[in-house]
Amino acid sequence: MPSTARRRLLVVLASLTLVLLVADVAGWGVADGVRRAGGLVLGPVQRVLSGAPDGGLASAERENARLSAVVNEQQHRLDELGRLDALLRSAPAAARSVVAARVVATEVSPLGGRSVTLDVGSRDGVRADSTVVAADGLVGRVVAVSPWTSDVQVLGSAGSVVGVRVGPAGTLGTVSPPAPGDSEARPRGSLRLSFVQPATPVVGDLVRTLGSVDDTPYAAGIVVGTVTDVDPDRGQASRTATVRPAVDPDAIDVVAVVVPVSRSTPRAATSTGSSSRTAVGPATGGTR
Amino acid sequence: MRPTLLGLLRTAYVVVSALLVATLLPRLGVPPGALPDLVLVGVVATAVLRGPVHGALTGLVAGWVVELVPPVGHPLGLTALVLMLAGLAAGCFRNPASRSALRPVAALLVAALVGLAAHVAAAVLADGELELLDGARRVAATTVAGVVLLPALLALDRALVRRRLG
Repeated sequence: MPSTARRRLLVVLASLTLVLLVADVAGWGVADGVRRAGGLVLGPVQRVLSGAPDGGLASAERENARLSAVVNEQQHRLDELGRLDALLRSAPAAARSVVAARVVATEVSPLGGRSVTLDVGSRDGVRADSTVVAADGLVGRVVAVSPWTSDVQVLGSAGSVVGVRVGPAGTLGTVSPPAPGDSEARPRGSLRLSFVQPATPVVGDLVRTLGSVDDTPYAAGIVVGTVTDVDPDRGQASRTATVRPAVDPDAIDVVAVVVPVSRSTPRAATSTGSSSRTAVGPATGGTR
Repeated sequence: MRPTLLGLLRTAYVVVSALLVATLLPRLGVPPGALPDLVLVGVVATAVLRGPVHGALTGLVAGWVVELVPPVGHPLGLTALVLMLAGLAAGCFRNPASRSALRPVAALLVAALVGLAAHVAAAVLADGELELLDGARRVAATTVAGVVLLPALLALDRALVRRRLG
């Protein structure tokens, strides 16, 4: 190929890439199509690869090596079963309809935070904006789904903001990754909690998700983390604090994706004693 | 343009190494900070023999492969543009008269630093965060992998061209 043609090809391809980059940053649908195509073609290969080391061990020629491989395999399965059991019995997954999944790939984004790929997809009932939980609490939400895999935005990624309730009183607030312009220094991996209305958090307060309509993108009442430090009062309108996430984003393995189930039976009104008045409804809140 | 054995081998190397870096190496216990960028090694091996334009083209295409291996990168296309710049930089090290073993490694180091600088620039522009120490460790790991891999890749490339398969 002559060098002018090659140069022209380079310019065309680079401009196409730039257009797609802008389209993705601007949030157009084209980029999502490309994402889905990538997951559709390469997802199955990754599923095979992530199981490959076990197969290699099992085919070892020497009996001793083979047996120890079997033992390792059993132990690994036991560990995994234990983790899955713990996950399914844990508070976030109990009483919800969930799909268990494993992390098959991770990526640290140049814009901060990370995303992981799970080995479940739209064929398993996972939809975009589903909540992802681990045994200890919230992991993140699904941002892209292909038939066999799905990409998850982990808590603390750039742009992830979670509405929360703090402490026993259930004060409203939001949890987000520490912004560059933040006046306080926070330890690596911790999150920033800011309140909607004036309130004073206490160190040790549990932070739970506020929840949204139909449990998307976040189901209600899932543990996000604990308040570890309250920023000093500098006269700002609302206080801010540091939150340590309940789930270590570096050690996510077995997780569960919450599958929204639409409610079909109406919620019964509660009668109070012998009076003919009835309560308007349980004051649970937090779903709107 | 007819497909050549060399072209097929290059494509296979890029796809396999992109899958390795994303899926297999982390599962085998390689810490995420010390993951060598095997795709960049392949791009530099091509660029240092063919020149800046060819290097940039290879980098762009290889970057798209990396981008499309799930988890699909965000923002889409950033890795492709960064690898294009890296391939362009490595291509400037081309010198048909020289057979020094140090030259490709220097090109790889420069390409890796260009990639790191581009990521830092993107992080600054988009208010993201970046672990500079992690980035430096990755550059070091990539260079070490290049010292091992580059002579083999270059020898294979030259041998195929000599036999008119490239």
